[in-house]
Amino acid sequence: MIATLAWWMFGVAAVVWLAVVCATLLAGRRRRRRREQGSDGLVRVEEATDRRLERVVAVSVFATILVLAGFLAFDFAVGRALAQHPNVALTIEVTGRQWWWSARYEDPAPHRIVETANEIHVPVGQPIQLKLRAADVIHSLWVPSLNGKRDLIPGYTTTLWFRADTAGVYRGQCAEFCGLQHAAMGLYIIAEPPVQFAAWLAAASTPTAPPTDPVLVRGQRIFMRQCAVCHSISGTEARGTVGPGLSHFKSRSSIAAGTLSNTRENLTRWIRNPAAYKPGVRMPAVAIDDTELATLVAYLETLK
Amino acid sequence: MKPLRADGDASRLPTVTFGPRSLMWWGTLGFMTIEGWTLAILVAGYLYLRQNYDAWPPLRTPYPSLLVPTINVALMLISIIPAKLAADAGRRLDERGVRRWLAVTVAITVAIVVLRWWDLWALNTRWDTNAYGSAAWTIVGFHTSLLVLDAMDTIGLTLFFWFKRLPAKAFSDVANNSFYWYSTVGVWIPIYLLLYVGPRIF
Amino acid sequence: MTESHDRALPVPQIMPADDVERTAAELDQTWAEPGTLWGWLTAVDHKSIGKRYIITAFLMFVAGGIEAALMRLQLARPENTLIGPDRYNQLFTTHGTTMMFLFAVPMMNAMGIYFVPLMVGARNVAFPRLNSFGYWSYFVGVALLYVSLFVNTGPDAGWFAYVPLAGPAYSPGHRVDVWAQVVTFTEIAALCAAVNIIVTAFKMRAPGMSLDRIPIFVWAQLVVAFMIVFAMPAVATGSTLMLATDRAVNMHWFNPPEGGDALLWQHVFWFFGHPEVYIIFLPAIGMVTPIVETFTRRRVFGYTALVMANITTAFFAFGLWVHHMFTTPIPELGQSLFTAASMVIAIPTGLQIFCWIATVATGRVRITVPMLFLFGFIFTFVNGGLTGVMLASVAFDKQVHDTFFVVAHLHYVLLGGGVMPLFAAFYFWFPKITGRRLGDRLGKWHFWLFVIGVNVTFFPMHILGLEGMPRRVYTYLAPTGWGSLNLLATLGAFVIAASVLVFVVNAARSWRSGELAGDNPWDASGLEWATSSPPPVYNFVYPIVVRSGHPLWETTVERPVVTGLATHRREMLLTTTFDGRPDSRHVDPEPSIWPLYLALCMGVLFIGSIFSPYFVLGGIGLSTIGMLGWARQSTEHVDRELVALPDCRLVETL
Repeated sequence: MIATLAWWMFGVAAVVWLAVVCATLLAGRRRRRRREQGSDGLVRVEEATDRRLERVVAVSVFATILVLAGFLAFDFAVGRALAQHPNVALTIEVTGRQWWWSARYEDPAPHRIVETANEIHVPVGQPIQLKLRAADVIHSLWVPSLNGKRDLIPGYTTTLWFRADTAGVYRGQCAEFCGLQHAAMGLYIIAEPPVQFAAWLAAASTPTAPPTDPVLVRGQRIFMRQCAVCHSISGTEARGTVGPGLSHFKSRSSIAAGTLSNTRENLTRWIRNPAAYKPGVRMPAVAIDDTELATLVAYLETLK
Repeated sequence: MKPLRADGDASRLPTVTFGPRSLMWWGTLGFMTIEGWTLAILVAGYLYLRQNYDAWPPLRTPYPSLLVPTINVALMLISIIPAKLAADAGRRLDERGVRRWLAVTVAITVAIVVLRWWDLWALNTRWDTNAYGSAAWTIVGFHTSLLVLDAMDTIGLTLFFWFKRLPAKAFSDVANNSFYWYSTVGVWIPIYLLLYVGPRIF
Repeated sequence: MTESHDRALPVPQIMPADDVERTAAELDQTWAEPGTLWGWLTAVDHKSIGKRYIITAFLMFVAGGIEAALMRLQLARPENTLIGPDRYNQLFTTHGTTMMFLFAVPMMNAMGIYFVPLMVGARNVAFPRLNSFGYWSYFVGVALLYVSLFVNTGPDAGWFAYVPLAGPAYSPGHRVDVWAQVVTFTEIAALCAAVNIIVTAFKMRAPGMSLDRIPIFVWAQLVVAFMIVFAMPAVATGSTLMLATDRAVNMHWFNPPEGGDALLWQHVFWFFGHPEVYIIFLPAIGMVTPIVETFTRRRVFGYTALVMANITTAFFAFGLWVHHMFTTPIPELGQSLFTAASMVIAIPTGLQIFCWIATVATGRVRITVPMLFLFGFIFTFVNGGLTGVMLASVAFDKQVHDTFFVVAHLHYVLLGGGVMPLFAAFYFWFPKITGRRLGDRLGKWHFWLFVIGVNVTFFPMHILGLEGMPRRVYTYLAPTGWGSLNLLATLGAFVIAASVLVFVVNAARSWRSGELAGDNPWDASGLEWATSSPPPVYNFVYPIVVRSGHPLWETTVERPVVTGLATHRREMLLTTTFDGRPDSRHVDPEPSIWPLYLALCMGVLFIGSIFSPYFVLGGIGLSTIGMLGWARQSTEHVDRELVALPDCRLVETL
């Protein structure tokens, strides 16, 4: 809908621009016609010419008004259409922080609440309502292919509605300058058929089983020691809220809010020195040696 | 270049004028407009913030007290009289009258400035307690800066009139100074009503 | 004291050349400004102040351009590592702050300060020392910003400094405080210029110059001066009284947990911010009319329409600000109102363009470098104006807000609608300021490089915005595919740089050794062309009587003037507000150091306030000395004054 409006406006604008530029050029070209001049070289314009000019200018102004009125009407129509949304929808609470997104799927049964970060799954074809809050500064959630953007403002709760008609992965980005890593605050909205979505939701609300392999157990202990202060994993004692929740971390396609793809190598490099990828990021470089790092990563890789 | 033809003689035009004929009157009007508009913006901010609260003043913030602010408002209204008399004297080129009434204006103005300290604390909250306090203190604080500036202007003018031989234009300056004083007082009345009286009423 | 009657009209007579020369020589002496450093620091001549204003503002244009070039270098490739996020944030903030606060508005004010008195036939502005104080305040702001940038304390929260990012919690340190005070100084400067322009245009016009004979350039400056009076206080209130206090003394204007509101900042800032762009644009289009008239050899079509269009645009400009906030939770009905207003404002501007086209179509056109730039203005600005109308649509804006589409739009209107007419004005009025003409060939190179550069740089940005590239990002990922258009934009930026370099070379060479211009090289019609190039300090030997809006195109054999102003002191003629009848005489102040001194005191006060409240007290104390000095200068006794009492009697003092 917005695209149609945009193309119409662009088309009309292009025509208007062309008309004005051509009119200017034509007006300037008429040097051949002899103008009535006084002895001082000045042009004295006759009454008749003046009247004609008045009519031309008046018509042009009227045409301008008509074009603008048309734009206005079209815009109002699109605006009203976009504002229509049903009462029932899946509601997801999204909170923007410097420089990542947390998402929370509410459920009356507390054990089915899902908290995730940076990748938001939604069912295809259903209206989705995002309730947007900001934890620190103003952010703006924007997924271009799905809808316009909406600001996340501290002190306010704003709403964004959309409906994904086709399944797929839609990339979005923060669209309000929010500090050092505003450029790297991306997110993904993954639209999947309702059955798959339900399955994902069920899996996401299930805590991961505790590890049995001794390497993985050691990895989890390292996690508790170094990472649990800021990160959380459902089913463990890690309850940190400063950084993104890492439950089912391996099911995400990217890390660092859409900056890197979620591979073992990237993860290793990221943990070793986050600031190399996102200077100014709040996550510090953790002081662990390579072996410990490998163990930790091995553990994280199991969080599907 | 065309030859010049003398088409008017300016040599008998006045060199000192009063009111809109004089440049300083316009300068004073400009300053009044700018400062008044700034206060209007601050007041708009104060009213905007009000919608974030159910109670106004916010819960646990007392009402502003009315005693000293009301006395001060009364003093300000009274001070219009000597200010006007000084301006009238200026318009008559009456040097003694100007000296007398400027001195009286200064006396009352100084009292007003001194009492202004208590006006601020009469808000019964600090500027860093909450947004209500911030807005109220900023408004009163900004008006205080205008008050102090005006007082300094008036004191300076009075001292010049008492201790220096001044040009005739100084009489026009007296009228402009009073003009500015009326606006400083005038703009305070609605602010006093909104900030001090208002919370008790609505 | 004796009474006397009003002046009697003498019989008009041709003035002997000897008399004129003698008067001019006496005026040369009385109005002399010493050529020493002290003379320069204490100058009260509006042309001296205007020139330094123009040059400083132009240097800021270059500085802002360098910042832009660095940004473009960083963005030329995806995931580039030339400039890191911290430096980049300082760069784009300083670029915006420099261009908007330190170049555009001061430059338009500077052109007004230099030309409004000349165009209305006055000797100086109404408040020369205030004028000087305004310039020095501006200069303090320039120094503050650039010293801070070089010691890594440059502001980094954007030129619009949204809270809470710019608040005490998320911008610790002094960077944003620097920004807030730069705004304070430039706001003071703009207000000083505005008051001066309003009072000069109202009270100091040539005899016979009624309101309907004022040049359009002056009308534009006058309208904008009023806009400054009502817009600047908003940003000053926001930055100095709300943001700086939140940061320095723990106020809560913008702190939601204590009842503050992050949106309040946006309202206050954009209430200023939208008129701000018209404050830049309207003076520029005020420059179009005199140039078009001169190079089509006819009076512009639709003088009244043009004046009304300027006034209407100014009013409407104050009713658009929410269109910067369409993605915030402001109620839809309110947003729709602002959409309508934002579209309606295109109508008066369109009217002005139609009037110019009508003028060109019925005049005898001469293509000169100024006219080339005016064509560039139409070509570029109309594009920007149309994308502006598109942006007014809430639905469309919700997609392209905060993307490079907006960057494209704003540069098209500012460069096309502000800078191109400004360059045209430089070529047109350079001869008047310096006495020499700018080179023609280099002028054409400048024009073509600039027009091509602007379009190559900014057109691709429309597409980048539509493809999803947000603003204010120091880099972007390779898979987005935005690399090639960004590279193109960067190349365009260097074409712009080349064009500006050509202009600088042209200006530097022509200033020294350009072709001599004479009083009126273009055979234009305004009063500024009735005196020498450059004009003497006192502008005109005698105030010129005008009988039309185009004084130098009047067909009288002689030029009527008013005699009788004293030459032993700096006397000027004041006229009535509406009709322009001679009304009184006014004595201009002598050169004075107090404006510079007071500006420095303001510097101590406001910059010091960032660090400690004691500086505020100290600054007030120092300022008091300055104000006393200033006042004392005005209170030298004068003999034999003619006083017009309010009851219309005229008395003479001893």
